[in-house]
Amino acid sequence: MKKENIKKALMLVLSVFLILGIATGCTNSSETDSDQETEPVVINFWHHYSAQSAENETLMNVLIPKFEEENPGYKVNAVSHEWAELHDKIIVSASSDSLPDVARLDIAWVPEFQKMDILVPLDSEMADFNEVAGGLLDSAMSTGYVKGNYYALGLNTNTKILFYNVQAFEDAGITAPTTMDEMFEAIAKLSGTNENGQQVWGLNEPALAGWNICPYIWSYGGSITNDNYTKATGYLNSAKTVEIIQKLADMYADGQLTGFNSGDIPMTDGFGTGRYMMLLEGPWKSAEMDGAYPDFKYATADMPAGEAGSHSVLGGEDIAMFKNGNSEGAWLFMKFMTSEFAEEEMAKCGQIPVNKEALESDTVKNADFAPFLNAITTTYARPPVASWSEIDNALSVAVTDIIVNGADAQATLDALAETVDGLLAE
Amino acid sequence: MKFKLTQKTTKNIILYVFLLLGGAVSIMPMIYMISTSLKPNGALYEFPPHFFPSLEQLTTENYSYIFSQEKFYLNFLNSVVVAVATVILAAFISTALAFCLARFKFPGRKFLFGLIIGTMIIPGTTLIITQYQLADFLNLTNKLWGLIPFYTAWVIPFSTFMIKGYIEGIPREYDEAVYADGGTVFTVFFKIIVPLASPAIASVSIFNFLTAWEEFPWALTVINDNLKRTLPIAISGFFGQHQFTQWGYVFAMSVASLMPVLIVFICFQKYFVSGLQSGGIKE
Amino acid sequence: MNLRSSQDKLRVGLLLLPGILMFAIFTIYPIIKLFLMSFTQWDFGSMMDHSFIGFENYKAVLSDETFRIAFENTIIYTIVTVPGQMVLGLLAATFIHSIPKFQVPFRVIYYIPVITSWVIVSLVFRYVFNTEGMLNYVLTNVLHLSESFIPWLDTRWGGSGVAMMLGIWKGVGWNMVVFLAALQSVPQDLYEAAEIDGCGSFQKFFKITLPCIKPTILFALVMLTIGGFNVFTSIKMITGGKPMHQTETVLTWMYYKAFNTGEFGYAAALSFIVAIVLVFLAVLQFRAMKNKDAN
Repeated sequence: MKKENIKKALMLVLSVFLILGIATGCTNSSETDSDQETEPVVINFWHHYSAQSAENETLMNVLIPKFEEENPGYKVNAVSHEWAELHDKIIVSASSDSLPDVARLDIAWVPEFQKMDILVPLDSEMADFNEVAGGLLDSAMSTGYVKGNYYALGLNTNTKILFYNVQAFEDAGITAPTTMDEMFEAIAKLSGTNENGQQVWGLNEPALAGWNICPYIWSYGGSITNDNYTKATGYLNSAKTVEIIQKLADMYADGQLTGFNSGDIPMTDGFGTGRYMMLLEGPWKSAEMDGAYPDFKYATADMPAGEAGSHSVLGGEDIAMFKNGNSEGAWLFMKFMTSEFAEEEMAKCGQIPVNKEALESDTVKNADFAPFLNAITTTYARPPVASWSEIDNALSVAVTDIIVNGADAQATLDALAETVDGLLAE
Repeated sequence: MKFKLTQKTTKNIILYVFLLLGGAVSIMPMIYMISTSLKPNGALYEFPPHFFPSLEQLTTENYSYIFSQEKFYLNFLNSVVVAVATVILAAFISTALAFCLARFKFPGRKFLFGLIIGTMIIPGTTLIITQYQLADFLNLTNKLWGLIPFYTAWVIPFSTFMIKGYIEGIPREYDEAVYADGGTVFTVFFKIIVPLASPAIASVSIFNFLTAWEEFPWALTVINDNLKRTLPIAISGFFGQHQFTQWGYVFAMSVASLMPVLIVFICFQKYFVSGLQSGGIKE
Repeated sequence: MNLRSSQDKLRVGLLLLPGILMFAIFTIYPIIKLFLMSFTQWDFGSMMDHSFIGFENYKAVLSDETFRIAFENTIIYTIVTVPGQMVLGLLAATFIHSIPKFQVPFRVIYYIPVITSWVIVSLVFRYVFNTEGMLNYVLTNVLHLSESFIPWLDTRWGGSGVAMMLGIWKGVGWNMVVFLAALQSVPQDLYEAAEIDGCGSFQKFFKITLPCIKPTILFALVMLTIGGFNVFTSIKMITGGKPMHQTETVLTWMYYKAFNTGEFGYAAALSFIVAIVLVFLAVLQFRAMKNKDAN
């Protein structure tokens, strides 16, 4: 009886196998069939609009259908990756020649990929490059400029400004800080415990990479490297840099700053539930807060000014095409994605356009981009060097050591500066 | 006599209490996962936290979101196809290998068996770099069915080892009888070995199904397209952003992906122990 | 058995062929390639030209501070989780074996963690051990065992510790099933004879059960040691190696080096070192068990 059952089970499994075999056989044959017909050419596009975001909805449901309608010979295969994963995927694919045709890249990655020799120099390969580039902001185009050539088109720009909890500020009787000193005071005042006895932190940073700590360093008067990006010693370990990192470490030790530990509340949840009082964030935050915590009241202000002024970090994405891809299709898609129509649609989800015409549109004027557009004029860019990913890693390890483990700030940054000198020289 | 009986009962009660405690620890995280998947996303950092959602909080919004995603069904189907194909391929290949190793003398037999044991010791993930290059060379990257030969190759050593042990326990007289009737090696394989070794085949197949169903690093590395991803990659994709994790969706998707495995396991669980019983774990 | 005819030889060959082909292409070839790769310079600076550099990659791995940490973490993970799983699994198996009823439901319940995928259970553990999570709330606000919330995931030993708890919790069921199979094949008359000699439960366990299931213990030990070195997904999902690569294990570090920084030669050497260590450990475990037999 038992044996019979086993036999039956095996037969079942076997028949599933047969069906699967037939199914794969069919798909295989249909694939070969389709080669003979005039199927549309597929453009592979990788990006890091997160899978559940409004941006991704717009891309999939508005932009790509529109592009495919305008260019009947093409189909776009859009693939979303998580931000860090996209970087790694491009590295892996470069090693095996399986790169996509076109990708949306963090502006900080362009020099690195250029050095790997996988990006197409657009200005020398595309006849109408100047025409296209002329329609985009110069500041955005400069992010794709490496060693005499343009390797990318600007796609969107952003920076981080201060977001704060309106209710908590009112209760404490303070207003939005305009200087770093006021900011530190406010952080100290707002940190503590709430009515439930839960800990509350004045400031949140979700990580300790360059993107997170640069605004504090720059505004305070410190720096990462010299102006030519050739030397870090004397800059990354300057008195001002050491002082501000030490200040962040003190704030962490006093329970005023958190968010970068694995066990911490995620930024959006912590802000929305009143556990994090202030944070530096980009224009996408508004859409996220509307989605997750629609009743929560917050306001924004400029990055508080330090001795050196108010200098947040320049963010944003470029769109670039890879070598050995379908450059014709990729270029069409790149032009489409930077067109007024596409940029205006993306502006509705919080992406600040770099297309000059889109910037003049009503959508942008009605959106709350003004504070960001204003802040962008005073931002600095992270060093546009090929080894930035490595430098960023080393930076985040060293700063974590100082802030979390209480390592000596001067000594740690001295050692870091030496490492970075080596990476810059490569 | 009566005294002895009560002593036995006390002993049993103690055993049950311990087993129940251990069982509670075993399934507590799963229950917490299910209860969290029934909470609205905004309630995840509420104070005080509740193990179960209150009645007015109780929501199926996470499930309706997951099930409204076309991608989810595709990811699910992808995992099923890959796991089932791996199980069948591995079952056939390892049974054949095990049969030959257990029953015949052929040149290189010891060497082959040694290699199988040797590769069992090396974790699959250590080979990920060169296997990636191989996949690229064979044009198997970013293809769903490209996962299958790699998963199969990973599970073959263990499966062969287990099934070989079981086959060695099947009396050779059965084979001899078939040969005497004019049967061939194939007849013995399909008429004697496969049916009699089926408990062992079934039990390694469950292991193999799990391996392929939940495999993470390899699928993460070779699959790019959203529509070709398997469930573990899809679930970790929800988690992705460090600033904002929609735990409700993550757990709803996890529960949905756990159910089929649970059903398969409960249906086949009786073959589990019996297949291992006289299996490869012998000297 | 000696093959009767050349036709039968051909048939055996046919049965062997798919297995040997699969094995040669997808396992043996990558191992050889990995071995060769570990002696070449293979990174993004030298994508096209892979020059032979002798033991440089091995030297780089062995002198790398993060590798040392990752190796330590892996060893400790193995030392903690392997006995942990085996002892609890054997206990569960013995208990389930001795109860008169409900064996099957307990078997199923204990096996649920095993059949749940690593990605899912890692996320659940991350959520439970979150500093603001349920566990800390219960420990601090309900049971008052701790003054303040414990930052489980934020430190080297905290993060690794959670991964170890997960490893044990998930592994008990597998051990339970393996040992249950072994217990069922222990001859019943041995126990009866022992009872006549007046042996209690504990004596029976140590005098009869343990020696009888020794091959299974060895088998589990070897398999679990391999599993311990294979820890990857839980670390990647729970801590991602944070803080400062302090919770990396050999495989997460290998993956990071290969696919994040592109140092394939380094990663190949690292993989090979891990493989050598494992083979060495397996041989050692077999020897140890054999020696005990002799005594």
